[in-house]
Amino acid sequence: MSFIEVWHFIIGNPVLNVLIALSHLLSGSFGLAIVALTIIVRLISWPLTKRQLNSTKALQDMQPKLQELQKKYGKNKQKLQQETMKLYKEAGVNPLGCLWPMLVQLPIWIALYQAIIRALATTPENLLDLAHRLYSWDIVNQAIPLNSHFLWLDLGSSGDFILAIIVGGTMWVQQKMTQAPAVDPGQQSTSRMITLMMPLMFGFITLMVPSGLALYWAVSNIIGIITQYFFTGGWGYLKFRSPFQSKQ
Amino acid sequence: MKQPKILFLVVIALLPLTLVSCISGSAQLARGWSGTVVHDGIAYVGTVDGRVVAINSSTGNLEWAYSIAPVTTPSSGLSCGQSSVTTAIYSTPVVDRDLVYIGTYSGQVYALTIASGADRWVYPRTGSIGAIVGSPIIANETIYISSSDSMVYALDTIHGDLKWKSEILDEEGKRHEKLWTSPVVHDGAVYMSTFDGHIYALSVETGELLDWSFESEAGFDSSPVIYEDTIFLGSFDRYLYAIKIGSDVPMWKFPQEKPAGNWFWASPIVNEGIVYAGCLDGKLYAINAETGEELWQFESKDQRGKPAPIVSSPVLVGNMLIVANEAGNVYVINPETGDGERIENRENGDKPTIDAQIRASLCAHEGLVYIKGEDNRLYVFDITEKKVSWDFPLTIEE
Repeated sequence: MSFIEVWHFIIGNPVLNVLIALSHLLSGSFGLAIVALTIIVRLISWPLTKRQLNSTKALQDMQPKLQELQKKYGKNKQKLQQETMKLYKEAGVNPLGCLWPMLVQLPIWIALYQAIIRALATTPENLLDLAHRLYSWDIVNQAIPLNSHFLWLDLGSSGDFILAIIVGGTMWVQQKMTQAPAVDPGQQSTSRMITLMMPLMFGFITLMVPSGLALYWAVSNIIGIITQYFFTGGWGYLKFRSPFQSKQ
Repeated sequence: MKQPKILFLVVIALLPLTLVSCISGSAQLARGWSGTVVHDGIAYVGTVDGRVVAINSSTGNLEWAYSIAPVTTPSSGLSCGQSSVTTAIYSTPVVDRDLVYIGTYSGQVYALTIASGADRWVYPRTGSIGAIVGSPIIANETIYISSSDSMVYALDTIHGDLKWKSEILDEEGKRHEKLWTSPVVHDGAVYMSTFDGHIYALSVETGELLDWSFESEAGFDSSPVIYEDTIFLGSFDRYLYAIKIGSDVPMWKFPQEKPAGNWFWASPIVNEGIVYAGCLDGKLYAINAETGEELWQFESKDQRGKPAPIVSSPVLVGNMLIVANEAGNVYVINPETGDGERIENRENGDKPTIDAQIRASLCAHEGLVYIKGEDNRLYVFDITEKKVSWDFPLTIEE
């Protein structure tokens, strides 16, 4: 078995069939099926998300100690960085921990991207290819062909600017809520760039991929924001401003 | 410390781009799988490079080639400007009098002269209708064709004038984005099957919906075939249906117990009370047209010994049934017993009959079978000799 065959057997085809089955269960709405799949993926990745949320909360609690370190070693950047990292290590937190749930979801994104293209079968070749990938479940076969329209979106097409803004905006809010402001000015610029670059990049990519995949990102971000809000009891770092930023 | 930071930023920024570039191969471009028609010793076929070619079936020489205008695709997403791509052709041409007719995926119907390949008319005169995947059918000096703009068109064969067009809507009153099956004309009506599980009957004269229609839970994936007032067609639920025109319930569906291994994608053929239906599970089934009872089944395979999908309809040549599978194997089958023999590859017996996928419909004419491979070559089989007589490259150098 080649890597591609293994990939389709383990991830690609299960995601495709679950998505189509969900579509049949949800009155033939492929858009609702994507929303439901997003919720399922978020539930499965909950242990990772929870770990990340704990880390965020711990970072918030550490802010007074970080301020002390800044006062103490403000002129010695290397020492400040060392002490900050030491503090992070002692508390068992990773300031970039929010990226891990995203990385873990990467195979799901790829599988979902392929599933959307295949399930919506925009060309006869795609429809024929779909036939070879479907399980023999009645629920799956009766759902074909799928309706590609959801709200104002054509889930198989790319280039929706409203969705790009929603994806980029929700990602920025979520990142802003979880990304602890760095103490070291050097790290601050890195952190700020990541917080800005990722939403911009995903907004940009939304214009190139099928709207169905971008819908997954948007819903996933919104679920992330809601979870974060209730878990940490507020908007986290979205409202927090590092006292050292004002000194710049 | 600065270098690792920059590296990290670059990696993070490139991650989504990598995601898109790595997996973009999932979508398959429309290439087309036009079949062949033979008329007065000339084979007409649509090619994967967007041409209609005429080949002399005696000499194997090219008579003429007509290039369909490439499609200009508008910019989408971040792509700037427009791009030009080859027009895909799925429909099998039909010949009537001195013209050959073909529909294109770019949404145009062409009438070309059989003598020189010059275009007599194009419908519409300007612009395009929806993508055409099904094949046209001609009856009473009218060409009937379905299009992905959810319409069935009736055009005058001589001038290409529109006689009527009829919109086929789904249950919610929305248009079918994939009206990909071919219409069939029978007893004063045009019959169309749809992916949402309907069969509609339209008046051949006006295009108005007639009183009778049929509704199924699952969509129909193949074009209807009519034999003795009964419609035979495949469904996405992995059954082949037999529906008596005028009835609300199927006469039978096959297999009678559990569904087949995959869809009946190709239209079946019916001869002397027996339905021969190829299935994407790799099997060719012979079914009693009256009862739906299985008479025999024949399993086609690929070179690894695994069942290979049958995408194109079988054809009858004398007392032999010819079927091809997607893996490139062509079989000669006894229609009474279901015993079959694979036609060997002329160069290497371990290879499939032809070294390319077969998706286009087969054409039988005077003891020869014409098959277009996905390698854009036309193969002509002598069924008596059970071998390829000649083959012709359809990709023509300018």
